[in-house]
Amino acid sequence: MKRFIFAFIAAYVFIFLWGWLLGGVLQDVYTQAPNLWRPKDETKSLFHWIIIGQALIILAFVMIYASGFAGGGVMAGIRLGVLLEIAAIGMRLVIYAVQPLPGKLILYGSVSGLIEMVIVGAIVGAIYKPASVRTP
Amino acid sequence: MNWQKFFTAFIGAFIFLFVFGFLWYGTLMSGAHQEVQALFRTKPDFPWLILGHIVMAFFFTMLCVRFIPAGGAGASATLGILVGLVYAGPHVISFAVEPLTTKILCGWIVGGVIQFAIAGALVGAIYKPSPPATS
Repeated sequence: MKRFIFAFIAAYVFIFLWGWLLGGVLQDVYTQAPNLWRPKDETKSLFHWIIIGQALIILAFVMIYASGFAGGGVMAGIRLGVLLEIAAIGMRLVIYAVQPLPGKLILYGSVSGLIEMVIVGAIVGAIYKPASVRTP
Repeated sequence: MNWQKFFTAFIGAFIFLFVFGFLWYGTLMSGAHQEVQALFRTKPDFPWLILGHIVMAFFFTMLCVRFIPAGGAGASATLGILVGLVYAGPHVISFAVEPLTTKILCGWIVGGVIQFAIAGALVGAIYKPSPPATS
């Protein structure tokens, strides 16, 4: 359980910082479709939803890893991250089909999402070990 | 890996994800989407819609097969619920940055979890590993 919590916290800190960096890098892309976003002040007042959303991603990720891929180490974590993210790219394409989001946002979001989930997988795989394979 | 069963499971998952998406998001939630019309296209862009579902179904099937190599509807449905929760996260984040209503947010989250739970059960029920080779 302790390792589960450590893995969750470490991956969460990473995803939070990554999201923050990405928000800055993609600022120009967001301005291409200003009518699709909330005003900045409103987004700030809803910032806790961003924290909850990121925590949900990481919690469910660690739960999947802990219940099936555990013991495989960093590579198993990366494999899980890649599979989940490529399926998520499919979901982004579906969203793009129904929402007039800038194509660049989908492209950059997918590339950065893949990098993000590879790193999340590596972090979780490196930290989380099931009780049976832990070394004393 | 039993590729024949994998392919059948992938086709089953694709058809289910597409039909469920049409019924849940396109029909049942249509009224909720109409409340914020500016956020949606007037007509879906079908080539992207189909490609997106193919990619989603293929890699979700791959995930189920790698995660639960013995197959089984129950275990794969559980995985589907967790995958649905992973994908609920980005919807929650979207709610903070896009003027979506709470009705849409809840509909997307509940729909996603149900969709992947059933898709997981379907993949688990269809996929069976190859029988061991006899000498």
